[in-house]
Amino acid sequence: MHNRELNTEKSDSDGGAEAPLHEELRFRRLAALEMGGKEAVDRQHAASRLTVRERLSKLIDVKSFREIGTLAGSGEYDENNKLVKVTSAPYVAGLARINGRPVAIGGEDFTVRGGTTFGSARRKGGQGGFIEDLAHYYKIPLVNLIDGAGGTVTSAKRRGYVAFPGVHGFERSVQLLGEVPVVSAVLGTAAGGPAGRAILSHFSVMVRGTSQVFAAGPPVVKRSLGRDIEKEELGGAAVAVDKAGTIHNAADSEEDAFEQMARFLSYLPQNVWEMPPVTECDDPVDRCENELRTIVPERRTQPYSMHRLIELVVDKGSVFEIQPTYGKAVITSLARLDGRPVGIIANNPKFYSGAMDANSARKQIHFMELCDTFHIPLVFLVDVPGFMVGLKAEQEATLREGMRAVYVAGQLSVPTLTLVIRKCYGMAGMATCNKNDIDLKLSWPTGEWGSLPVEGGVAAAFRREIANAPDPKAREKELEEELNAYSSPFRTAEAFAVEEIIDPSETRPILCEFVELAEGRLRVNLGPKGKAGVSP
Amino acid sequence: MTTTNVTSEVIGSVWKVEMNVGDTVQTGDVIMILESMKMEIPVEAPTDGKIADILVKPEDSVDEDQILCTIES
Repeated sequence: MHNRELNTEKSDSDGGAEAPLHEELRFRRLAALEMGGKEAVDRQHAASRLTVRERLSKLIDVKSFREIGTLAGSGEYDENNKLVKVTSAPYVAGLARINGRPVAIGGEDFTVRGGTTFGSARRKGGQGGFIEDLAHYYKIPLVNLIDGAGGTVTSAKRRGYVAFPGVHGFERSVQLLGEVPVVSAVLGTAAGGPAGRAILSHFSVMVRGTSQVFAAGPPVVKRSLGRDIEKEELGGAAVAVDKAGTIHNAADSEEDAFEQMARFLSYLPQNVWEMPPVTECDDPVDRCENELRTIVPERRTQPYSMHRLIELVVDKGSVFEIQPTYGKAVITSLARLDGRPVGIIANNPKFYSGAMDANSARKQIHFMELCDTFHIPLVFLVDVPGFMVGLKAEQEATLREGMRAVYVAGQLSVPTLTLVIRKCYGMAGMATCNKNDIDLKLSWPTGEWGSLPVEGGVAAAFRREIANAPDPKAREKELEEELNAYSSPFRTAEAFAVEEIIDPSETRPILCEFVELAEGRLRVNLGPKGKAGVSP
Repeated sequence: MTTTNVTSEVIGSVWKVEMNVGDTVQTGDVIMILESMKMEIPVEAPTDGKIADILVKPEDSVDEDQILCTIES
């Protein structure tokens, strides 16, 4: 809000007399910059949150903001139709640059009516908003800075009727997911439409401690279920990121969230008709790491650090992990090889032996679709004993989610390279490569694979024979040893059923060559991906 | 004095306990090893301090988020 009377005096810095129109423009612009007024801005800061304009200035390149809809809002006029004051629209939007590349960007202004919709004929942002259209028409990434609870029942009173859900809904947001990168940060308490938009993103991030996201907040929960619950307990990062995977990553501060958004965008093309950006790389392509020869422990029951393995292979400092605290049995990271973006999907032996559970399947599916949509080749570093087993895993539909991963992997059109580090078993193993193509399947000498591991597999397949043996334990061990002899990876290589067994130290040079090779195939496959079939 | 609960990330069983009540630990020290999905899962100290209590013994079944021991620091 801005009181006109206080700003009609001319200041010397304005260079003397001004034409009336110019003065009005200045007045209205100042009103926009003041947002909800000092008191509301102080409240925002007291909650450890930045204002939307501060957020913009921290995220985008200096002086790159070209605001659109600066003057949108509600004017109040006196009896002579003279403007008295302006309440700006609770949403700031425009074009800007991040690392030199143009983006459409917008966010709710929580200091104006809590960032709720303001009822103009044309929305600036949000469902069916102007910046979504900008991103669509100019094929540039969309950046959402979310800090609002969406619809309010009071808008029905203003309109005189209740809006039908889905009219001016998410059509454009849905369309954008197949066209341009969409990144969202949840920076306050988000429910309803704004929360929905955070989900309709390729990458979402929220701030631990100061932001919450849910379908509906504590008052609605109280009314619907009679339960009292605090908003942080209901939709803080511990639930929304770590437990549910509703939002991809958590950030320690708003600044950290902006860094993550910029970092994410740096791996992606501006749209699906372009190739991902290649950066200069000073990490030698032929860097061989001896540590890789010993990273996998000899004892098959001992885990090792897959994160360390990834670091040793990709360009130094290039790893950006998506969903590091959710579905931890699989690691999904954007990285670079010789400066070219690559998607790394690696099983994590430290968490359930890397067995695929429902959460890690969902996480892998999102990441595969992301990389496939934006022409980023995939490297699978495989150590998966199979799907997660047990009652909890069955209750969580591990089999269905896991088979969805197999389904999506089977439809990948980006080049994929599968490198078996240790285990590659069963249907979860099938989700680690696209076998429909000529994509390479390589292995380290420590690789082992099959329909299911020999231990346990023997007990099931030879149940009667073992039970009837004079010494069942000894017979089981004998059978295991007999079958283990066949499971040497070299026997499979002999049959050319795996293309090559490589020296682990040479992993980086080989992967760099693959990603360079992939470029040619990616170039002839640019554009949007078709959608096929019914996902299981 | 703050007490930190050390919890299990996995469903499984306790294979061996490497430390005793009263032992001093540093962040990253292995307190015990669980077994899950035929894999040894080390439980590392999340903070520096002294082991105040150990709530499980070898061969016990453990659930996700179950408290295994506490550290005072």
